Amino acid sequence: MVTEEEIEQVSKLMKIDIDNHKEYVEKVHMMINYFDILDSAGVESEEISMPEISISKLRKDEHIPFDDKLIEKLNHYKGTYVRAPKMSS
Amino acid sequence: MNLNISALDYIQEVKTGNISAEDFIAKTIERIQSVDDKLHAFLSVNDDAINQARVIDKKIKSGEKVGDCFGMPISVKDNMCIKDSKTTCASKMLENFIAPYDATVISKLKQQDAIFVGKVNMDEFAMGLTTEFSAYGPSKNPWNMECVPGGSSGGSAVSVSALECVASLGSDTGGSVRNPASFCSTVGYKPTYGLISRYGLISYANSIEQIGPLTRTVKDTAFMLNLISGIDPNDNTTMDNKNEDYLSGIESGIEGKKIGIVKEMMGEGIDPAVLTATKDAIAKLEGLGAVCEEISFDMVKYSVAAYYTITATEAGSNLARYDNIRYGYDFPLEGYEFNSYISKARRNFGPEVTRRMIIGGFVPSAGHAGKYFLKALKVKSKLTKEVNDAFKKFDFLISPTVPILPFKLGEKIDDPVSLFLVDINTVTANLTGKPAISIPFANSNGLPIGIQLMADSMNDKSLLQAAYALEQTVSLPEVPI
Repeated sequence: MVTEEEIEQVSKLMKIDIDNHKEYVEKVHMMINYFDILDSAGVESEEISMPEISISKLRKDEHIPFDDKLIEKLNHYKGTYVRAPKMSS
Repeated sequence: MNLNISALDYIQEVKTGNISAEDFIAKTIERIQSVDDKLHAFLSVNDDAINQARVIDKKIKSGEKVGDCFGMPISVKDNMCIKDSKTTCASKMLENFIAPYDATVISKLKQQDAIFVGKVNMDEFAMGLTTEFSAYGPSKNPWNMECVPGGSSGGSAVSVSALECVASLGSDTGGSVRNPASFCSTVGYKPTYGLISRYGLISYANSIEQIGPLTRTVKDTAFMLNLISGIDPNDNTTMDNKNEDYLSGIESGIEGKKIGIVKEMMGEGIDPAVLTATKDAIAKLEGLGAVCEEISFDMVKYSVAAYYTITATEAGSNLARYDNIRYGYDFPLEGYEFNSYISKARRNFGPEVTRRMIIGGFVPSAGHAGKYFLKALKVKSKLTKEVNDAFKKFDFLISPTVPILPFKLGEKIDDPVSLFLVDINTVTANLTGKPAISIPFANSNGLPIGIQLMADSMNDKSLLQAAYALEQTVSLPEVPI
């Protein structure tokens, strides 16, 4: 069972500001409760397999220059720097 | 001019001079202007398309080398980057985002003289299966405009079905190409994971999503695959397919092939018309010499929960980049502290994206990861083993693409769990990395039904041969718009 407080806490951690908290909580509840079906899958002893790519198959770790100046495309580019919101003290 | 032609027929007509690329593109744009107010497949239309077609006609006339597409009009789901054009992901968050580079699939098609007629609608960040979660409003199903067209690549399927282009590119994370293809009566293809580069596709759930074509015919899908597949240094998950030609031998037939009928994909909740169509497809495949036999997968029952757990987790990570500093919309910085600025800016995410981000934070978190995320990964591993074992015995697996018919707009939007279950037949291919195709097969009271075939990894060529064989057994009505 997922509590409303847990969902509120997660939305804060995910940095999402929500107007109508109750509506979100109800639907997120429904979705997460559905995931409880995983408890009956009987996969506790199953190994998790992950695809592996050998290092030799990765591209070389080298800088590939980009033609455009991407920094100039940012909304808050100020000529020599990018403005960001103030950090909390 | 007949816009209802296949990509291969279009190319032949232009090559032989029966039609010009300019005329065809002009008619296509006219068609978009005349029907898209009602259908809302397109989020933006390429104003320069007719000029681009003129350039191609000039090349043809002067005997210059022309790319394999000969100006073929293609629509592109709005989560793939086309340099210097808007790429919104159907989100208000990216409403002004201009892509600084081309996705690999776009570069490859540009090299072959394809013309991108526009960017098409989708569920926001590809999270959904009806296009109702687009921030710019839903698309409508051209077969019945009261119904959803499927999603998330709904705009792609509508644009192909309603003759607003010849082919389209979509992306498939849990059925997002095959589901709308089934609902709109087009072919929809999810290739083997790694066959097509994802470079320039805006990420949702990297470990399982793939770009795939939507076309009018299986041969067109094979043609598109020839152009866009293959290894890409910009995507380390791509595989070398040795420049496989997916068109050659496509008429080989399926005599003697073994096909598994997936029991769990034809069970509880299936629409009777879909069940009848699937049984009919099986009978037709048997008539062509295939041997069909039922098979059961224990893990299919858990596949949707595993799929949503994994994708929400990856989405939570992928969407963390939308802080409105690197990517975002016009929202002033003044008066906000760093974290509250990001939180406020993210109010521009729609409700479904917000929900999935919350879930994506919850299911892998300390105290919950063992119950949800790790268990989902274990289901994925076990399902992959079950499917791999099945392909030791069978060449293909068959099921309906979607167990129900296209439903009314708004019918399921408030019930996330009933929406989840629409994905039950498609997520297995994504979780296991296998190729799968939806073939338009039947029509029940004006609503399309697609049949899904799945094959083992890197058996895309034989899968297309089987799909072609099935396609040849049907004759379907023309789209009523």
